Amino acid sequence: MIEQFAKEELENVAQKIEKEGISKDIRKRLAELGLLAATLPQSENGSGIDRRSFSLVLMTIAKYSASVAYFTYLQNTLVNEILSKAQKRKEEIIKIASGESTGTLVHDLNLNFPQEVYIKGYELYGSNSFVILPDADLHLVLARSESPSYLIMANPVKIEKKKPLGFRAISFGVASYKQTIEEDRIILKDADSLLKSHFFDTSDQIAAIALGMSESAVEKAIEYSKERKAFESYLYEFQPISAVLTDMKGRIEEMKKALMLSEVVQDRILLKLNALELSRLASRVALQIHGGYGYLEDLGVERYYRDSMFLTMLSSNYIKDIKTVSKEIISPDAFKI
Amino acid sequence: MSDLSFELPQEVEETRKRARDFALREFTNELIEHFDETEEYPNEIRKKVFDAGFITIENPWNMLVTMEEFCRVDPGIGLSTLASVFGSEILLLYGTDEQKEKYLYPTLKGEKISAVAVTEPGAGSDVAGISSRIEKTEKGWMLNGHKMFITNGTVADHYYLLARSAPPPSKEKRHHGLTLAIVERRWNGVNPVKLKGKLGMRATDTAEITFENVAVPNENIVGEEGKGFYIIMTFFNISRVYVAAQSVGTAQGILDLLLEYLAEKPASFREMEYVQFALAEISALIEAARNITYKAATKVFSFNPDPALTSMAKYYAAEIANQVANTAFKIVGIEASGSKLEKLYRDAKITEIWEGTSEIEKLVISRMILKKIQEVK
Ligand SMILES: Cc1cc2nc3c(=O)[nH]c(=O)nc-3n(C[C@H](O)[C@H](O)[C@H](O)COP(=O)(O)OP(=O)(O)OC[C@H]3O[C@@H](n4cnc5c(N)ncnc54)[C@H](O)[C@@H]3O)c2cc1C
Repeated sequence: MIEQFAKEELENVAQKIEKEGISKDIRKRLAELGLLAATLPQSENGSGIDRRSFSLVLMTIAKYSASVAYFTYLQNTLVNEILSKAQKRKEEIIKIASGESTGTLVHDLNLNFPQEVYIKGYELYGSNSFVILPDADLHLVLARSESPSYLIMANPVKIEKKKPLGFRAISFGVASYKQTIEEDRIILKDADSLLKSHFFDTSDQIAAIALGMSESAVEKAIEYSKERKAFESYLYEFQPISAVLTDMKGRIEEMKKALMLSEVVQDRILLKLNALELSRLASRVALQIHGGYGYLEDLGVERYYRDSMFLTMLSSNYIKDIKTVSKEIISPDAFKI
Repeated sequence: MSDLSFELPQEVEETRKRARDFALREFTNELIEHFDETEEYPNEIRKKVFDAGFITIENPWNMLVTMEEFCRVDPGIGLSTLASVFGSEILLLYGTDEQKEKYLYPTLKGEKISAVAVTEPGAGSDVAGISSRIEKTEKGWMLNGHKMFITNGTVADHYYLLARSAPPPSKEKRHHGLTLAIVERRWNGVNPVKLKGKLGMRATDTAEITFENVAVPNENIVGEEGKGFYIIMTFFNISRVYVAAQSVGTAQGILDLLLEYLAEKPASFREMEYVQFALAEISALIEAARNITYKAATKVFSFNPDPALTSMAKYYAAEIANQVANTAFKIVGIEASGSKLEKLYRDAKITEIWEGTSEIEKLVISRMILKKIQEVK
């Protein structure tokens, strides 16, 4: 069903989506398919899909539109799952699950240095420069204070959009806050640690998106290698081209299997790092095989090159990720110096 | 460069410094963003580059280090301005006095812009596979064909264009029967269309051009009829060194940005060994790429080219530019978003494609090396 949706409703308009953004109609379709609160139990207006199946959903959508896949991940995993974890805000979940409104998570978990959003008493102020979907209706904002950090439902006073490297169907930019918060808008205390563990724990979903993108890039390159000739031979006839494509295919298949097996958080983080690296490599190979045509947006190949790097930047901080895993699997003193 | 001194003459080092100062002053962030966004051709900056005397082929080292320093600040504007004389070496080596007078000298004075038109929709790497035809007529020649991805295509005054003038004598000799001609953009039947939407290098002008019954006078044929392939390959042997310099400059620009980033952050971040190792690796790779580029340039500029070495420089430096961009991103992460680092990452990719893809460079290298085995035998 998801494959059919993605193929019929996303494939041909993927380039248009990149230019015009994710329309309300697409949001509605994602909602009808139950994907915007996919992993939430039915009692919480979710679809009750298990996490592995959801990973497969993301991978399938990413093959046709990486932006739509990331949007789905953002709404389901970073917004609705967190709202659900906070055990509050049923009405917000319903709105996002129905595609009626959109949400975003404003955090600095993947940054080398914290962003300056603070809460003092009930005053929320400051800004975050790296917000995906800053024009979302609902912002879940990680705000720091002297002791615990809080997750707050807020609305920015100002947003400034920047052209992102990838996922151009989704806005990106700076969000600034200055407002007095009502008590019931604070939905989590000590939010930092909960968000961090949620962010790491769902790393496999990022791996799924990266694998979908890789698969699509490599398939496009294989197709092209069967159409394009150089030196009176099809490109796939050249040994280095066939070898690199076969190697890519093999690595994607291996990682898909690993995706289904990753049980513990360390495995998921490592899988994410490897899948992201593979997606960058696959996109570079695909672009290269398309030669000059790959460098222009018309064939939709350069998009993989931008998207794979942007996904990496959005979802991973190599130093933090490796540090977390090495402390777990080597020693708490690992990665110190 | 004198023997193994690894020092460039003082005059060249002075040019390097002037080029760096010029680029830092003239390629402002606003302009870099403007040309990246609009994909316009930076004609005003091109004129300033001429006025400042950076375009000269008297001492090619000056052009080489200028390419490096310009691309270090912005590869889009940098290359665009310097490549306004693209293909000049063709006339310098093979042009008649009249051709030089009419096309080369005005180009070198900044009065005209030139372009090289080889690639076609159906043939890029396979130069001998082009299908544009140039045929003899009573009065001169007639050109019909289609060229693709031509840098300066809509802004150039003239193109150095390769077309087939006779069928190949055999399958093995497909590169015979190609002729090089100078074709003016404003002639009847020439129709350039700007190609937009490139991943990077968006300040460069790129075009698809059709030629329909274009009359080319006899005096515009360059070199011997049917020998165009050799002329183009000789030219690539020169131009590839400049692309290697473009890559070195781009990689150095990425390192500069990484250092700027690290300088702004608390010392504890730079003190991490992980960061320090990445920095060391990047620096070593750039140094190696620069050295191989200069070595290849030494041969080319002393009229003793080594095509394998030139291809090694082009291939290696391009690989390094892209690798360095990836490593820098790993450290800076999402903070690189919307920054110049992101732009250099997009710009760097072209170096693996134009003037011979990395795969074609590898073929050139291995063919030359295998030739040596044959010689030993
Ligand atoms: C921005 C831009 C500017 C350009 N400017 C100019 C210009 O000014 N003038 C001009 O003439 N051209 C220009 N080009 C064209 C450029 O030189 C070609 O794109 C390049 O030579 C590759 O040709 P192609 O795109 O046809 O790819 P193809 O030749 O179709 O190659 C496709 C892929 O197959 C690989 N391949 C081909 N043959 C083999 C083999 N035997 N073994 C292994 N792999 C192989 C290639 O490496 C590549 O990865 C420009 C291109 C771009 C993108």
